Amino acid sequence: MADLGVMALLLGLALSAYSVIGSAIGVKIGMPALIVSARRALYMTTLAAAVASAALINAFVQNDFSIKYVADHSNSVMERAFVWVAFYSGNEGSLLYIVLALSIMSALAIRFAPKRMAPSMPWTIAVLAAVQLFYFFVLSFFASPFELLETIPVDGRGINPLLTHPGMFSHPPMLMGGLIAITIPFAFASGALISGNYGDDWVDVARVSAILSWGVLGAGLLLGAWWAYTILGWGGYWAWDPIENVALMPWLVLTAFIHSIMVQKRRGMFRMWNVALLNIAFVLAQLGMFINRGGPVVSVHSFASSTLGVIFLSFMLLSLVFAFGLFLWRMPQLKSERAMESFMSREASFLVNNFLLLSVMAVTLWGVVFPLFSDLARDVSVSVSAPYFNRANGPILLGIVLMMGVGPLLPWRKSSARSLKKWFIWPVAIGVLTIVVLVAFGVKRPVAIFSFGVVAFVATSIMQEWWRGTAARHRGGENWALAWWRLVNGNRPRHGGYIVHLSILMLGLGIIGTNFYQQRTDGALALGESLVIDNYRIEYVDNGNSNRPDRIAQWADLSIYRIDTADYATEISFARAQGSDGFTLKDSTPRPNDRLIGQIQPWHGFYPDFNMASVRSGIRSTIVEDLYVIPRDFLSDGRVSLAVSINPLAWWLWASGPFFILGTMVALWPQPAVERRPARSKVRTMAVGEV
Amino acid sequence: MAIALGTLLALIAVVVVAYPFLGSKRYRLAPERFVNREKLRAERLRVYRKISDLEADHSSGDLTGSDFQSQRDQLRVTAAKLLREESGPNGPTNDRDEQLEKEISRMRERSARSSGSRDQS
Repeated sequence: MADLGVMALLLGLALSAYSVIGSAIGVKIGMPALIVSARRALYMTTLAAAVASAALINAFVQNDFSIKYVADHSNSVMERAFVWVAFYSGNEGSLLYIVLALSIMSALAIRFAPKRMAPSMPWTIAVLAAVQLFYFFVLSFFASPFELLETIPVDGRGINPLLTHPGMFSHPPMLMGGLIAITIPFAFASGALISGNYGDDWVDVARVSAILSWGVLGAGLLLGAWWAYTILGWGGYWAWDPIENVALMPWLVLTAFIHSIMVQKRRGMFRMWNVALLNIAFVLAQLGMFINRGGPVVSVHSFASSTLGVIFLSFMLLSLVFAFGLFLWRMPQLKSERAMESFMSREASFLVNNFLLLSVMAVTLWGVVFPLFSDLARDVSVSVSAPYFNRANGPILLGIVLMMGVGPLLPWRKSSARSLKKWFIWPVAIGVLTIVVLVAFGVKRPVAIFSFGVVAFVATSIMQEWWRGTAARHRGGENWALAWWRLVNGNRPRHGGYIVHLSILMLGLGIIGTNFYQQRTDGALALGESLVIDNYRIEYVDNGNSNRPDRIAQWADLSIYRIDTADYATEISFARAQGSDGFTLKDSTPRPNDRLIGQIQPWHGFYPDFNMASVRSGIRSTIVEDLYVIPRDFLSDGRVSLAVSINPLAWWLWASGPFFILGTMVALWPQPAVERRPARSKVRTMAVGEV
Repeated sequence: MAIALGTLLALIAVVVVAYPFLGSKRYRLAPERFVNREKLRAERLRVYRKISDLEADHSSGDLTGSDFQSQRDQLRVTAAKLLREESGPNGPTNDRDEQLEKEISRMRERSARSSGSRDQS
C-alpha cells in the first residue's frame, strides 16, 4: 500500500502543477479547452489525496509496521477507533490530512461557484492549485507518510497518550481544516483581482467560505480548550501557547472580515480593507503552519522535531509577497463607493470592532514572534507567558465585547441623539443595575464586576433587538413565536450573528468566573482522609490500578460532599489565617449537614514507551461552578496527591459551543429568495469556462 | 497489486484531464454578454436584498421614515436601471417593459403591505 500512497502523492503533485500552469496559460492564450482541462486536474487532485489517505488508513488498520509513520504512531493494542486520530497525529499524516481537506474544499468551491465569476475562475483555480502544489511537494519529497523502514519492528511505538481523548477525533481536524480553508476566500479574492474583476462579485462566495472557515476554526479552538481542560491536568483551558495563538490570530482576522464584509455588501465601503484582511488571514494561516511544522517554538501541540522550518518559512514569505504585491498592484481600483458619513453609525462601529480585533491579533503576534527575534538577535532564549497576554489583551477583549452591544444599536449611515437615547437606555440601565446589584451583594474584584456589567449590557441589547423586531411583526398580526421566527429568517446573517454574540457572552462569563474567582488548594490524602475547599468535602474512599502493555494506570475513588461551612468554622478560619483556600482532614466522619452529592474517579496513567504521564481530571460540573480534581501523583506510601480547584462559571465555556455552531449555521444558511428566478435563458450554461 | 492500482489511478486522471482535448465537444470561453448578464442579475438581486433589509430595519425602528424613503427610492431606481440593462438593447422591448412594470408593482405591493402593517400598529 505504501507504493500506492507514493504514486497517489506524485500524481497529486503533477495534477496540481498542471492545474496552475494550464489555468494561467489557458487564460493568457485564450484556449478554453486548456482551462477546462486544468479545472478537471484540480478535481482529480481530490481523488489523488483521497487514495493516498485511504492507503495510509489501510496501513494503520492492517498494522503495517513496515511504514515508519504507522510504526511511530500506532501499535497492535491501540483501540481501532483511534486509527482516525493516528492518521493525523504526526507531522506527515497531518500534512496529508490538510491536502485532503483542501482538495475537497477546493473542488466543492469551484463546482458551486456562481457562473458570473467565469472570467476570474481560472485564476482562482490557479491559486488553489498552487497552494495544493506546495503541500503535495512537501509530502512527496520532505515529509512522506509512506517512508519504509529497513527493519520491520514487531510492534509499533503506539499513539501519543495525550491524543487518546474523544476531543481528538474532532479538535485537530477542525483546527487544521479551518486554517487551510482560509485558502478558499483568499483564492476567490485573488482570482478576482488578477482578472481585473474589481466589483463585488467575489464578495458573496468569499463571505460564505470565510464564515465556514471561521466557524470550523472557532469550534476547533473551543474543542481544544475543552481537551486541555479535561486531559492536560493543569486546571486551565487556555495557556496562550504559541500553537493556540497561531490558530487564534487568523480567527480574529476572519472575525474582523466577516463583520466588515457586511459593510461592503450593504454600503459599498471597505473594499481595500476587506481584501487586506483576507490577505492577512491567509498569511497568518501560513505562519501557523510554519510555527507548527518548523519547530521554532516549543509547544505541547507542535511537531517540534520537524526539519521543515525553512520550507514552510519560504512558503509563508512567498504568500506574503504574492498577496500584498497583488493588493498593491490593484489598490487604485479598489476604491469604496462612498465615504463614512458619521462616526455614530453601524459601519463606524464595525471599523472600531475591526481595529480592536486586529489589536488583539498584533499583541498576540508580538508575543509569539518575540522569543524568535530574541533568540536570533541576542541569542537569548525568552518565553512570553500568560500574564503578558492577559494584561495586554484582556482590556481590548472587553472592548470587543462592549462593541458587540454597541454596534447593533447604531443605525447604518448616521444616528440622531434621540434615537441613541431611545435604543441605549435599556441596555445601559441593565448593565449599570447589574454592577450595582453585584456590589450590593458584596461581590469583589472591580474589573470582574465591570465585565459582568458589560455582558449584561450586550445581552440586553441583543434581546432588545429581537424584542423590537418581533414586536413590530406582532403588531402586524403575527403571533409572537411566528414573528420571532420570521424576523430571524428574514435576515439570517444578522440574527445568526446575534446567536454567535450570545455564545461569546457565555464564553465571557466562563472566562470572568474562572479568571477572577477561582479557588485552589492541594494536599496528599491517605485512604479515609478528606480535603475541604469552600463548601465541598472530598473524601478518598478507594483506589485501583491496571497494567496494560502500553500503560500503567491508577485511579482514586472520591466521594464529594456538600458541607455547611458553619460545621467546619474552626478549621476554615485556621486555613484562612494560613492564606489557604482549603485544608485536609484526618477524620472523615460526616458532620451533621454533610450531604453526599456525587462520586468522581480521577485517573493517572504512565506510558513507558513515551516516558509520559497523562491524567484525566475528576470534574463535577454545574452551571454555577466546577469542582475540578487533578490526581497529581500516587505516592509510594499509599497516599494520593490531589490538586483541587473550584472554577466558577466554567460550565458556560462549554455551553457556548453549541450556540456558536448554531449561530454560524444560521448565518450561513442561504437567504430566502427575494424574487422568483426569471425563466432561464435558452442558452445552455455550463460550468466555468465553457458554454 | 498496489502498483497496478496506482497505474490505474494515473490512467483515470490522464483520461479525465485530457478529455477536453480529445472529445467531440467544442469549448469556448463564456461570452462576455452572458457573464455581464449574470453579473447584472446578481447585482439586481443584491439591490432587492438591500431593499428587503431596509424594510426590516425600518419596521424595527432602525431607520427613520425619511431615511427609509430616500434610500428605498434610490435602490428602486438602481434596480430598474439594472433590469433595463439586463434586458439589453436588443431584448424584446415589450417583454422588458412588462417585466419592469411587474417588478415595480411587486415592490409597491410589498411596500404597501409593510406600511399597512405599521399603520395598523
